[in-house]
Amino acid sequence: MPVSRFRTLAPAIGLIVILAGCGSATTPAPTAPAASTPPAASAPASAAAGTSAAPAGTPGTKFAGANINILTFNGPQIAEPLQRRAPDWEKLTGGHVNIVAVGFQTIYDKALLDASTGTNSFDGYVFDPQWMGDFVGPGYLADLTAREKNDPQLNQQDIVPFFRDYNSTYNGKNYTIPLDGDFLMVYYRSDLLAKDGLKPPETWDDYLTIAQKYNGQDLNGDGTPDYGSCIAEKKGAQSYWWIINIAAGLLQSKGTSQGAFFDTTNMNPLLGTNDAMTLALQTYAKAGTFGPPDGLNMDVGGSRGLFTTGRCALTLDWGDVGTQAPGTYAQDKTGAVISPGWKQVLDRSTGKLVPCDPTTCPDAVNGVNHAPFAAFGGWSGAVNAKAPAANQDAAYDFLSYMSAPAQSSIDVTLGKTGFNPYRTSQFTNSAPWLAAGLSQAATDNYLGAIKDSLSNPNFVLDLRIPQTKQYEQDVLDTAIAQYLAKQTDETATEQAISDGWNQITTQVGKDKQLAAYISSLGVQK
Amino acid sequence: MTNPFRRRSVTDLSPRAKFAAFLVLLFWALVVLFPIYWLFVTSFKTPYEVDKGPFYIPFVDFQPTLDAWKYILLDLGNDTIRPYVNTVIVGLSSSILALLLGSLAAYALVRFTYRPRVGIVGLFIASVAFAFVATILGAPALIGFGSGIAVFLILAQTIGRRFVRAFGNSDIAFWLISQRILPPIAVAIPIYVLFQQVHLLDNIAALIVTYVATNLPIVVWLMRDYFASLPRELEESAAVDGASVFRIVRSIVLPISIPGLVASFLIVLIFAWNEFLIALVLTSANAQTMPLQVAAQNATRGPQWWAMSVLILIMIAPVVAMAIALERYITRGILVGALKG
Amino acid sequence: MASRNNPIELEPREPIPSGSALRSRATRRATDTLGAWRSDGAARWLFIWPAVLLILALSVFPLVTSIALSVSQLAFSEGGVHLDFTGFTNYQQLLFGLQSSEFIGVLKAPTPLGWAVILATVGLTAAAWVRAARGGQVRPIGLILRLLGGLFLCLMVVLLVRTLLSDGGRPGSVVVTIIFVLVGIALQYVLGLGLAILAVQQVPWRRFFRILFLIPLTITPVGIGYMFLMMTDTSKGPLEPIWVALGLRDFTWVTDPWLARIAVIIGDTWQWTPFVFIVLLAALESLDQEVKEAALVDGASRWQSFRHITVPALLPVTTTIVLIRIIEGFKIIDMPNILLGGGPGTATESMTLQAYLAWNTLNVGRSAAIAYLLLILVSIVATTYVSFVRRRVTDFA
Repeated sequence: MPVSRFRTLAPAIGLIVILAGCGSATTPAPTAPAASTPPAASAPASAAAGTSAAPAGTPGTKFAGANINILTFNGPQIAEPLQRRAPDWEKLTGGHVNIVAVGFQTIYDKALLDASTGTNSFDGYVFDPQWMGDFVGPGYLADLTAREKNDPQLNQQDIVPFFRDYNSTYNGKNYTIPLDGDFLMVYYRSDLLAKDGLKPPETWDDYLTIAQKYNGQDLNGDGTPDYGSCIAEKKGAQSYWWIINIAAGLLQSKGTSQGAFFDTTNMNPLLGTNDAMTLALQTYAKAGTFGPPDGLNMDVGGSRGLFTTGRCALTLDWGDVGTQAPGTYAQDKTGAVISPGWKQVLDRSTGKLVPCDPTTCPDAVNGVNHAPFAAFGGWSGAVNAKAPAANQDAAYDFLSYMSAPAQSSIDVTLGKTGFNPYRTSQFTNSAPWLAAGLSQAATDNYLGAIKDSLSNPNFVLDLRIPQTKQYEQDVLDTAIAQYLAKQTDETATEQAISDGWNQITTQVGKDKQLAAYISSLGVQK
Repeated sequence: MTNPFRRRSVTDLSPRAKFAAFLVLLFWALVVLFPIYWLFVTSFKTPYEVDKGPFYIPFVDFQPTLDAWKYILLDLGNDTIRPYVNTVIVGLSSSILALLLGSLAAYALVRFTYRPRVGIVGLFIASVAFAFVATILGAPALIGFGSGIAVFLILAQTIGRRFVRAFGNSDIAFWLISQRILPPIAVAIPIYVLFQQVHLLDNIAALIVTYVATNLPIVVWLMRDYFASLPRELEESAAVDGASVFRIVRSIVLPISIPGLVASFLIVLIFAWNEFLIALVLTSANAQTMPLQVAAQNATRGPQWWAMSVLILIMIAPVVAMAIALERYITRGILVGALKG
Repeated sequence: MASRNNPIELEPREPIPSGSALRSRATRRATDTLGAWRSDGAARWLFIWPAVLLILALSVFPLVTSIALSVSQLAFSEGGVHLDFTGFTNYQQLLFGLQSSEFIGVLKAPTPLGWAVILATVGLTAAAWVRAARGGQVRPIGLILRLLGGLFLCLMVVLLVRTLLSDGGRPGSVVVTIIFVLVGIALQYVLGLGLAILAVQQVPWRRFFRILFLIPLTITPVGIGYMFLMMTDTSKGPLEPIWVALGLRDFTWVTDPWLARIAVIIGDTWQWTPFVFIVLLAALESLDQEVKEAALVDGASRWQSFRHITVPALLPVTTTIVLIRIIEGFKIIDMPNILLGGGPGTATESMTLQAYLAWNTLNVGRSAAIAYLLLILVSIVATTYVSFVRRRVTDFA
């Protein structure tokens, strides 16, 4: 054969070899969940009943042979309790659970790629219920409504109504098991406020007043001036949640199902061109001036560090600060209060602010409309609908075991777990909190603030429609970052958010998104 | 005791210039070392101490703790060891393969003339496009690609032979390096789909193959310059003596190219060792590598500096050891010796 | 297969379009000599095909798939994922639509200095082109390519001027990336070369220095990002006392776009100088010392020996590392992402970072579109670089 012909053939032969190699690669997929377990016999469908109380000492056999993969983010938080309690569950049920921990930034992509391409290497997820919009529509998540209702281990009635009926549901059905109660609260230095006879902030105006008072003073006795307010402003971190939290009280006043992101009649962005957003942006920027000079590059890790070392009078955060304070300067000096509200509220038809009265703000306390914001929504367990049935049963049982009061009432008191309270029993029973190192006063104060928030009917759900990450982490985050960096003014920022959100809505389909938004808010009992 | 800055040969610097050079090097050494030192001390701090402000010297201004080391090495245990072993295997095997394939290709591009004809290349691209369109229109992938290959072969043997214009070696080399232009983010999803199809997701083999392919062009380009700078006389005389190309490469070219080979090896080893995005997409549990562990220390609570410091330190240790072992090969002695011998 | 019987192969075309005729002839003669070696045929193909095939296998599919992704929108549906074809929407949004202020930047009228820069660039480019056209050395196709290259250069300069040297303009990720690449590579090359020259001298501790200088490269880029985040923290980082001593307690670099970009460039330089260093070090070590010694003995000055012996020997490898650094530098992502998330605002957002942020929210279409625009930009820059710089200093480009 002439060489010239060989030359033209060579790449073709190579390609054929490669393709043949691809075609004949029939080795068992290493990522496929090990389905080599003895089937149904040992994993009866009655798993939904979920009575895993095997006698102590005797290894359970309910899920003997089941081997499940749970995807979550690698801790130390969140993965820690899962990994710590997995052996106990394995002893109870005979199953094996494999915690696959990946970085926080990548769970969403990883889970969605895995489910959408049919790889299905995970049987369950511990992730953000915010993503339900992307997962429930295409049918990637198993409907857990019946299981949760009839599961004595889970004791669903103990879960606070907001997390039970709103946060873990989509279109009226339960798709997740709450493991963590996430909502934002304001923390203050109780020693300072007590010394000066000040009340914790009720409104954001109070917040700014207090922040201004303490800014520049030495708050921890080390001789250097400290800060009035430490709020994360970093791009690509938490700032988009913070602005939503500040604006929430201006945007939503008539209960969770009113929604704070879009007008449920026409899908117009509420975090857009209106006076409420202008006021919220100005408040956020003003709070930043009472913070550290490099606040623009501070994420929540930074603000927590500053607060626990006594360098801040006020901060805005999830429940974690309360459980992280023990052992730091802020121990027994930390007070928590429901996130401040506003005495006015947006009139959605005019885009102007109107004063709060019993009609406009039916749930106001002392004339202040609070709207606690469940930013992120709390880590929740979900089950892959495409996993083998036996694995679904086992994955559900493990997640339910984690959420069961016996386990979770301990876990939510430990700073290292990253879990915050979400059950009634968790803030009525203070014993585990005292055991975790909080004083009685701190426990009462912390649980009181949580109770105030959780019992508020005007709780704000985080955005849970398809492409939620594009709305919040792309458009909103970029616009806020540009505003805080003084690249744009209020008007341009609002316009950018509004235009960006409308662009996504149009691309996905306005009717579809409106229906999804209403589904995500709706509770059909 | 002799003066360490004395002048040793005619090409050597004067003592004063040498001392100045030493000072400059010392300054840069401090610039390099200080951040590493900071990692080192941070790995012995508690989270609270990191938050409180800068502390510099263990036992003097803060009480060191082994918490972070314990957490990474003992508490995480297998979750640290598994990625570590993966990183070692993937890094070494992919860079050795890349060095082997790449330096052979580089040598070929320097010493041989290739003339891939424009027409054949064009036909190849057209056939690939054909295969893709067929696949997108619904043909099964194997049939789509099979027919693409068939079309290519038929056309190449008929029309293709009529083309005379050809590319040269430099075009091949540029095509190789141009494969690195597209950022990994753009190829992440296609690569994921590719390896999903062959059931190699979460398998270190997929990482090795990908890293060899991404690092090959670097080796080719670096080694091309080395081979080109070698004197031809040795090879020519060996050829005249009847040695085969394989023998010439093995016993003449490679030995005198050791400085270049070592430098290239270290560079591609480091690239493979530290690659993040492809590893992120292709692995989930069993095949995770260390860069993922480092990145994952940025949690919802902000970066876990202490744990991250430990991970970075244990990650660079083997590479630095390798560099110490290989550094002496990047010296002139060997080359000069080989040329004279 | 043992012999080459293709008539075309016996008449190798001049492999080098430009470069000195003398060297070209030498190359051809050498090639022909080696071409007569035994088992040449097998080696010819065995040496190069594995590399080419591997890269083909792993590059063609992603390349084509990415194009498909960039003109569509990813949608999830029952039982899978599908691509909705959206035409050039992703590109349109980036270049002219809502995302253009982030990608291209905010364009405003140039300042007088800006006008001067634009006019100077246009004038010089035009003059160079006219000279090439008059010289008669360049073929028509070359002239057209040069014209296009010149237009592209002018376009880029106008973009830089209207975002940087204008009232109220703001650079987008394209301009930010170009700044990072230009300044970063210049710094890295100068530092790397200087250190390599010093490290080949017979100074004390030279082995220690050589290994130490390599270390920054060995740290995973993500890790370096976090390390620099620690170093640059002015309230609890190690430089805090210096910062306070300078009276800068209430001052921070993170709010100023240019200080933030400088911080990114410093981090990038710390990381990549070792790359230049090690390659140049190996090249310097390979230099024939006897030639240098002979020159010095003959009375040449140290500078002359550097200028006439060292520099020419380093040129080929210099152009290679600069090309590699151009290609890698345009992909800068970890340092700006970790230091500032691309902030303040979007001041340090590079193209790859923008693509990554889009990808992270599964806006795969936009991410692929940015990547393709980056591919086009870098291809133009790299091709121009290879044909105008590299081919002048080496036999093979």
